[in-house]
Formats: sequence, structure tokens, C-alpha cells
Amino acid sequence: MRKKFILVITILLGAVLLSACAGGPVHGSTWSGLAADGSTVYLADGSVYAVNLSDGKPLWRYPGSTKLAFYAPPVVTPDGLVIIGSAGTDHSLIAINPRDINPETNAPVDAWKFTGAADHWVAAPLVVDNKLFAPNSDGNLYILDLQDGQSVKDATVVELGGRLWAQPRTDGERVYITSLDHSVFAVDADTYDVVWHENLGGAVPGSVVLSEDGMLYVGSLASRLEKFDPATGKHQAVVDAENWVWSTPALEGDTLYFGDVDGNFYAFNTSTGKLNWNPVKPDGPITASPLIKDDHILLATESGSVFAIGIDGKTVWTQKIGGKIYTTPVTAGDLIIVAPLETDFYLAALNANGGQVWTFTPEN
Amino acid sequence: MWDFFISIFVNVLIWIYDVVGNNFGLAIILFTILIRIVTWPLNAQQMKGAAAMQELQSDKEWQAIQKKYAKDKEKLAQEQMRVYREKGINPFSSCLPTLIQFPIIIALYQSIIRALASTPLDLLKLSRSISLPNVSDLIPLNSKFLWMDLGRPEAVVIFGLAIPTLALIVAITTYIQAKLTMPTSTTPGDQSAAMSGMMSIYMPLLLGYFALTFASGLSVYFITSNVLGIVQYAMQGKANWRNLIPGALQKK
Repeated sequence: MRKKFILVITILLGAVLLSACAGGPVHGSTWSGLAADGSTVYLADGSVYAVNLSDGKPLWRYPGSTKLAFYAPPVVTPDGLVIIGSAGTDHSLIAINPRDINPETNAPVDAWKFTGAADHWVAAPLVVDNKLFAPNSDGNLYILDLQDGQSVKDATVVELGGRLWAQPRTDGERVYITSLDHSVFAVDADTYDVVWHENLGGAVPGSVVLSEDGMLYVGSLASRLEKFDPATGKHQAVVDAENWVWSTPALEGDTLYFGDVDGNFYAFNTSTGKLNWNPVKPDGPITASPLIKDDHILLATESGSVFAIGIDGKTVWTQKIGGKIYTTPVTAGDLIIVAPLETDFYLAALNANGGQVWTFTPEN
Repeated sequence: MWDFFISIFVNVLIWIYDVVGNNFGLAIILFTILIRIVTWPLNAQQMKGAAAMQELQSDKEWQAIQKKYAKDKEKLAQEQMRVYREKGINPFSSCLPTLIQFPIIIALYQSIIRALASTPLDLLKLSRSISLPNVSDLIPLNSKFLWMDLGRPEAVVIFGLAIPTLALIVAITTYIQAKLTMPTSTTPGDQSAAMSGMMSIYMPLLLGYFALTFASGLSVYFITSNVLGIVQYAMQGKANWRNLIPGALQKK
């Protein structure tokens, strides 16, 4: 009898272990999405949290579940709706209205919901006038009309292929979308025709950057930074990195700043076609995009640090946040907002000198 | 340690995936065959144990103690254990391969999820698991195989109904395999036979549930493993096909 019991327990233990692999919306399942406007920080980390920018106090929470789990960076539309995409079993793209809070749940009410996608939302959508360009992991770019809450149900679908994990960018004429199937696409902003499609030989998890020289730049898991002619898609590698280039480069003047997953940080001058300085290696792998603030480049690393680096490549200050930072920080007002994983808190706000102003930990 | 184990699985899977022309379903099938080869000694031991259990059913001493202690379960169990010891039989040997499957199933599930990398963090972890050269042109892996997305649970929609075909096939093949390897017992109160009988009910339900809930790549592993097991038993002439007929034991 005892042996039968041991056998059953062993099987159940296996079941529990395997079940634990599936999980629901858990903090740390993947890196979170972060956005901010003038007064509020929005964090998608399973649930979506709105936090007061000035003091880090919680404003509301849109709850996640196994069905609805949010990790894509939220996007605030011109009319004040917050668009969040689910990476749960339900693949809805939802616009919530922060001005309409349900008093019982303290969660914003849905303004509309788009349910036509077949896979996870990882990328933030792009708002252009009244249109929303929303790339999904099912390989489709969904173009939604934001003029009213009903039109979104009839999205225009542009089939691109691969998993689309990065926010599109536009120059007004074309919308540029990257894909994990190694591609960069240019889609006509009005007709939605694919103008060109180029293969980079490695997945492209970051967005393209439109530089002052009129060219596009994008990094890839082929460990290269590529330069594109936006009209034709003709491209060439301009920097061979040490490892995967995950992040979207940040542009300041004619210099592009980007990191790789080996932890190297590069400054590429688009005018000279050369690196401004030899790559520096702060303290860990870089998946977050750099930010330009004042005269500094802000950089977050997997080692849980935030660096302010001068345009000469020298470190101005460092702040150890703790945990691991994969999410691109955002700046709002005078603050730098960071969303680390594997820490007790979900957000940390730093001042311009790297001093910690507040942290945010959700209530249970 | 566990992560190292997962990394080995991931590298082998990706290497096979590359060799077979970027087909992850085929990679899982070949990987399963590899697992069966590696666990061959265990399976052989299990078959040997099952055969010994089968022979024991017609042993006179065994039958005598069943009759003698029919009303004293505790004494019967003690006597059974004594006979097992004396004859060098491990009553759990027929369950061992099934139990061995669990760490493999868990590792394979995690390997599939990691290899198919449905989230950015998974993709980053994948990059650290791979020690093969020039994999950036393979990543992300193609998760499509036949009608399935191997990173997701499977269901075929027929007349508006989502039918979990793979889960059903997993449950059926697990049941067949369990029944074929189950020793025939005519002795009432035989605990090992009861245990095997219990396993032949619970395991198909459990694995069927896993197939219903988890990535369909895991179902491909279950089905391949079950079919290989059935073929292996059949080729060695050790399959009890009579066990598949409901009520066959009672009639005997």
C-alpha cells in the first residue's frame, strides 16, 4: 500500500512540476512593458499598473490572468486611451479608459477590444493620426481605425510573416516593421502595400531608427548594425558587433548608440561611417535601448545597473538598481523610470544624477 | 544542474532541426528515438521484469500463498515480498520506464518552450543555451509541423468544435502501451497487477491531460515514444495483445 502511495505521489509530483512550467501572468515571466506620459507611469507586467509619476503611488491596476497577460509596452493615444496587448491565451488588444474607473475593481473600463489577432502581443503599436499600426506575433500587421470604438473591429490586415516584436516606425510615407523571420518591411502608409522586404540573415527584435541622413538603421541577431535606403530597401552592414544586437539604437545628432548582448556599447557616427570610440563594456548584457537625456546617454544592463555615459564614452554616473534590467527605461519629467526583474519592487524612479526618488511595489 | 540538462536537450534538438532542414516536428521525433535508444537498457530491464511477473502467476508457491492468505492482506503482502526477494523480482520494474519518463518529459517540455522562445526572455535564454556555431540564421525556429504549432496546445476544429486530436491519440497510445506491457494476472488480490491496472488507467488520463494543456511538441514526443514502445514490445513477441480486449482477463 505504501509503495502504491509513493507511486501516485511521484506521478502527481511530475504533474505539478510540469504544470508549474505553464503558469499564468507572473512577474518575471518575461520582461515588462513600460511607458509614461506627463503624470503617469504605465507598467505592463502581467497586469497593467498605473503609477503616479511624482511619488510612485499606485493609481489603478488592470488585472491580468492566464487568459489576459500584459507585457507589451502600453501606448497612450491622443484621446487619452491606453492600449494594451495580451500575451495570454486570449490575444486581445484592448483600449482602456483611465478616466473611467470602475469603483468596485479600481480598474479602468474597456473602451474597445480587438480580438482578430492569433498570437501574443509583444510589440507596442504605433499611433499615426487616427490609425493604429499594431504588429502581432502571428506575423500580421493590423491597422485599426481609431476614429470611433467600433471601427477597430474591421482592421486591415497586412500579412508580413514571422513574429513581429518591435514597434513600427514611420517617416510619414512608409511604415517600417521588423520581424523575427530576419526581415525588415516597408509598408506604404496609405495603401498598405508592401513597398520592399529585405532579409538581414538574423532575427530583428528591435525597431528601425530614422536618422538625420535620411537613412534607416537597425540591429539584428546576425550581430550587425545595418543601414537601409528607405526608398529601395538597399542595405549594407555598417557595424559588426560582438554578439546579438537586440535593442533599438538611440539617435543623438549624427550618432547612433546601441548595445549588444555581450554587454558592449557602441557609438556609430552616421556621417563618418565609423565608431566614435572603441566599444565600452559597462557591466552586463544589453537588451534595453539607450535613452538620450540632456547630454548623457542612459543605459540599463542585465546586471541591474543604470549608467549615464557622456558623448565621449566616459561613465558620468552609475546607479545599481538590483535585479536584472531588460526593459528600456523611460524618461518622464525630470525622472528616469526603470523596470527591473527579480527585485522586490517593480519600478524605480531616478533623478537626473541617478539618485533614487521612489520605488513601486504592487499591493497584494 | 537542471539548466545544464535543458541546454543539452536544446542543443541536440536544434542540431537535429538544422540537419533535417528546419523541421522541428521531425527533430522531436528523431530526438525521441534517440531517447528510446539511450533508455534501452531500462526498457529491456522492464520487459524482463514484466516477463518474470508473468511467469510468477503460474508459480505454485505463489498461487498457494494467494489462497492461504486470501483473508489476511498484510500477511499476503509480506509473503509476496518474500517470494519477490527469493526469486529476484522487482515488482516495480514494469513501472520504472514510465517513471523515468517524467524528468525527461519535464526537461523536454522546457526545452521545447525554450527552443521555440515565444517571449523575449525565452529568446534571450535560448541564446545562452546554445553552444552550436552560426545559429543566428536558424533562430527563431519554425514551430509549424503538419497542422500544428508545436509551441501551443493542439486542436482541430471540425464543424465548429475544437477536437484535441493529439490528446486523444496520446491517451489511446499510452493506454495500448500500458495494456500490452501489463502482466496477465489471474490471482485475485494481486497487488502488483492491481498497480499495473491502475497505471494503465491513470497514465493515459494524465498524459492526455498534459497533451491537452501543453505545447503540442510534447504530444509529438508522447505519441512517438508510445508507438516505439509498442513496436519494440511487439517485435520481441512480449506484447500481451489479449489485454486490449476488455474483460479478457475475467474470462480466462
